Amino acid sequence: MKITDACVYPYPAGDSTPARMAFEARDLGFDSIVAVGDGVHPSAGPEVLRGAVIGAASIKDVLKQVRDPAVRRADVVSVNAREIAFNRAVVSIKEIQIVRGIHATQRNAFDHVAARTAAERGVAVDISLAPIVLLRGTRRQRALQRYADILSLQRRYGFPLTISSDARSILEQRSVRDVRGLCALFGMTGAEVSEALASVGRLVTPDTPVRVVE
Amino acid sequence: MKPRPPAMRTKRRYILVRIHPYGMVADQKQVYLSVIEAATSLLGDAAVGLAQPAVVFCDGGYAVVRCRRGSEADVATALATVTTIADRRAALRTVAVSGTIHALRRRMKPIRPAPDPGETAVGDDCFTVYRYPRQKVDLVERGIKHQKLLFFTEADLEER
Repeated sequence: MKITDACVYPYPAGDSTPARMAFEARDLGFDSIVAVGDGVHPSAGPEVLRGAVIGAASIKDVLKQVRDPAVRRADVVSVNAREIAFNRAVVSIKEIQIVRGIHATQRNAFDHVAARTAAERGVAVDISLAPIVLLRGTRRQRALQRYADILSLQRRYGFPLTISSDARSILEQRSVRDVRGLCALFGMTGAEVSEALASVGRLVTPDTPVRVVE
Repeated sequence: MKPRPPAMRTKRRYILVRIHPYGMVADQKQVYLSVIEAATSLLGDAAVGLAQPAVVFCDGGYAVVRCRRGSEADVATALATVTTIADRRAALRTVAVSGTIHALRRRMKPIRPAPDPGETAVGDDCFTVYRYPRQKVDLVERGIKHQKLLFFTEADLEER
């Protein structure tokens, strides 16, 4: 079981290089990180997976962007969530592994229909810790409400969850212990957090039937 | 005033936190204000009032936060939401929790930069290079205030 931070934005999007973020992640108890952006390459330390985030206005745009060579090269492909119809459609696209940014969408944007499809297709929903750590007041409260709602759907339908720090700096990365504490704010248990932290590993190398080689 | 007998005193817990970035000189009062702001914002006045968080030590890149026994998990979670100290970007990383400050002092390992800071240019900006153990390199933009911080490794610096 590999404990993975599902999304970080290293230099030049942030102020820390992928290698430094990987070092920091190891100190904080992670086995690997998913780094989004250019110039991400494997390092000697903890595993750095290549990530791609698709921000598209329509499903047509998403289908166009998943054919992009940079997205094809990525180990983990995620898409920013939008309104209800978009989310219902995007979870059935084969190339998409994670739907992220749920906290920024409207209430019920990810509903039971999308949840059931995500569970059938094995598409994960990402829980970003950035709004809990960085925001204050009503905006943070709204994010916690959205995450509690996602958690209740996850318990009902069983789609995978991932947890990301969305860090643009090593100062925004949090330890596994802190992740447990922050996720407990919206009712996630320790076992569910462990399961979610290990989800990226299962998405990258899914369980497939044993192939007999003669 | 006669002190309370030990059995009647409030039981306390002490949380050792490391202040990031390395080399940041933080005032105890400013750390306290950041901790209280983060805790009140996250947990509310009632919970923070009961937890009684206080910063009892701050030096050498470490701080010790005191709280009531039983509330240490909540306070540690609140510490994870600290993002600035005195308007400078910072993070508090929980290292250990103990019932005595003495036990926590044993866990403090001061991290100091290599003696000779170098210089490098990234883009058009000039940075002072501070090297830390385990190949970590912090670049601080040269200037008087609001300096940009970059976090590299030795290998990253050599590649440039």
